[in-house]
Amino acid sequence: MRPKLGLGQRFIQLGVLILILVAWYIGTLPGHINPLLLPPPAPVFKDFWQLVTNSNIWPDLWVTVHEWLVAVAIAAVAGCSLGYIISRSGYAVRVFDPLLAGIYSIPAILLFPLYLLFFGLGSGSKIAIGTTIAFFPVVLNTIAGLANVDKAYIRAAQSMGANDFQLFWSVMLPAAFPVVLTGLRLGCIIAFLAILGGETISSLAGLGHRIVSLAENMESAQMFANIVFAVLMAFIINGVVSFAEARGRRGFQ
Amino acid sequence: MTMSLLDTKQGISHDPRRKMEQNVNRGEAIIKVEGVSQAFGAEGDPRRVIALESATLDIARGELLSLIGPSGCGKSTLLNIIGGLTTPTTGRVTIDGHLVKGPSPQKVAYVFQENTLFPWRTVIDNVKLGMAFQGVAKGEREERARHSLETVGLVDFAQHYPAQLSGGMKQRVQLARALGLQTEVLLMDEPFAALDEQTRMVLGEDLSVLLARTGKTIIFVTHSLVEAVFLADRVAVLTARPGKIKKIIDIEEPHPRKSQFMTSSKLSNLRNELYELLHDEIRKTMTHQPAEAGAGA
Amino acid sequence: MTATTLTSFSHARRGPIMSPGWARLLAIFILLALWEIGARFYADPLFLCPPSQAIGALGHVLSDPKIRTAIEVTILEVSTAFAMSVSIGMIIGLAVGLHGFTKQSILPVILMLYATPQATILPLFVLIFGIGPAAKIAFGVSHGIFPVIVTTVAGVQNLRPQLLRAAHSMGANRWQVFTSIIFPHMIPSFFTGMRLGMTAVLLGVLLAELYVSTAGIGFYTRLFAESFSPPDLFALISVLAAIAVTLNELCRIAERHFRRWNEG
Repeated sequence: MRPKLGLGQRFIQLGVLILILVAWYIGTLPGHINPLLLPPPAPVFKDFWQLVTNSNIWPDLWVTVHEWLVAVAIAAVAGCSLGYIISRSGYAVRVFDPLLAGIYSIPAILLFPLYLLFFGLGSGSKIAIGTTIAFFPVVLNTIAGLANVDKAYIRAAQSMGANDFQLFWSVMLPAAFPVVLTGLRLGCIIAFLAILGGETISSLAGLGHRIVSLAENMESAQMFANIVFAVLMAFIINGVVSFAEARGRRGFQ
Repeated sequence: MTMSLLDTKQGISHDPRRKMEQNVNRGEAIIKVEGVSQAFGAEGDPRRVIALESATLDIARGELLSLIGPSGCGKSTLLNIIGGLTTPTTGRVTIDGHLVKGPSPQKVAYVFQENTLFPWRTVIDNVKLGMAFQGVAKGEREERARHSLETVGLVDFAQHYPAQLSGGMKQRVQLARALGLQTEVLLMDEPFAALDEQTRMVLGEDLSVLLARTGKTIIFVTHSLVEAVFLADRVAVLTARPGKIKKIIDIEEPHPRKSQFMTSSKLSNLRNELYELLHDEIRKTMTHQPAEAGAGA
Repeated sequence: MTATTLTSFSHARRGPIMSPGWARLLAIFILLALWEIGARFYADPLFLCPPSQAIGALGHVLSDPKIRTAIEVTILEVSTAFAMSVSIGMIIGLAVGLHGFTKQSILPVILMLYATPQATILPLFVLIFGIGPAAKIAFGVSHGIFPVIVTTVAGVQNLRPQLLRAAHSMGANRWQVFTSIIFPHMIPSFFTGMRLGMTAVLLGVLLAELYVSTAGIGFYTRLFAESFSPPDLFALISVLAAIAVTLNELCRIAERHFRRWNEG
């Protein structure tokens, strides 16, 4: 979608980033913005460096990543299975696909207070909200992928005598795979965002929890350092998942 | 690269089935189509479309029959009924005396108009997958697949993916996949429709040579008058919807057909005769039919 | 057998007992019935209530003036944030999208900001704007503005250069080009941006509402959860969900209407 960037454009982007950093520096010189709201860059970077090197963030990082992994695993298994079952019948697709899409349009974060009630303040409620949010793109894409396989392929396979298993394994699955993979990627990314959101609203541990408690203690520089860390984590997860998707696509051709 | 459909040195004469087919009497009917009609949509539904009306037809063993008619006349529908992909509303089809109830991959192979090569598999894996579906033992597939790719002259492209091939090459791979199934009957549904005219003429010539050698029974749907005359032993002309068989024309010209036949006055006379027959039908479809070709063009 | 497998993956099946719409309603009804039975006979009433009780609680939740105010404030926040997202996002989107330079330099930064997990900066919003509606509106805007910007840029980008060239050849000035070519061309993507923006604004505002637990919706959800009164909690959440669905649906209808208009 995006055209290949020339060197000139890279420089422009770099320039904009430097401009932002300079504005941040000047804006936070004494007498400008309240350092509680926006601390100067130097202490933020210092705290960020400490954060990465002194390793006291690892337990919280693990909590968040663990919640994410469990949520994604449950959503992937449940979403793919239900999607497969529904896609078996065209009638079921027409009954359930709009229903699932309709539920998907409700902001799932509304369920979080319920999950807090059911599963408590700990990891359980975060896993639940992450699973809920990731489930929908997975199930919807699985249905879309399997139900929209080009009928010409199915007809060709059946004319050559493919049985049900061969039809599924050699035709439906590879044809639907890229679409399902896109659903999984979306699910992975929004699950991470939802878990961070859940941790921010109410939690006992995790990256979101750290940021909130630092905010409550007015430790601005440290809070910003943690925000930078969480944002980097989100970018890393984004990158890893997109890479896995591209690889998976290529592996299956 | 070579545009030849077949490698003459490696012709299909190695095919063990060939001897058997040579001995077969050409006159005997292998496929019998008896009073076949096909309607789409429930009875009483205003949108109900009768695509095909009481078609009756015998196809002799080893013959190449062309089906031609205006778009939407049910040519492809008839082909799909013979292949067992569509169950007719009334009537029946038998192949070798057996009633057709579903796809019969042991007897019938298909070449479709649209590209139905699986894009996620290489050329040779596509050919082998067809055999896997048909139930060919694993050990035999590789050799048979290579052989049928040689027949269409594409063995050098065995490891390519379909997306890397031109349209004409894809259609030849589809043909190789169908040949690899080693069936007696070959159904071709406008196999060259998506190709440019020059490519399809050359492919047509090659096909004529190839088919003369294999002695397969072939039904070939086309909307090209020249292609129908050039390739077929008989051309069945269908009327506008609801499709009926209007007339069957014999093309008395030995196979394999030479390129000279393409430019002969015999061919153009036959072509003109077909055009006369079709002209009114095509007018009818243009004035009486909504834009959508719907159920089966 | 093979004939049924051919249709089993396709939409072409004929003659089911009931239309998909009725079957969908039936499925919802069955789910509610199972929930009712499960909650009534098997679940701990401190955690889960049957849907009938939630519906029963609807009355007194909605009649409590304080809760009503909280809901009204939320709707007001969503509307304000939505209006701000759309208007500011449009302007930024046009400014960025209409010039090659800004598109190359600023758009990547915007896309990067769009991809950041905004939940992490929610505490910052509360630090800056306090616990009142301002923080929630700002947080809603921070969610809603990005999809609007991105779709506006995409709408401008898809403009066929031939149209612009034709207009220039006929002597149109900048303003005429904008009003008679760029603007009409953008209408469909504008409504797509509105729909995506609404979804995002709802998420942002509700996230902020739930985070601030000393007032508004967040206070009541926490109160109901801590006092173990699931009927009230379910009732409140259903009301909010209904509002969200209604707003989403309004945007969807507007989008569909204008798409049809434009392409029909």
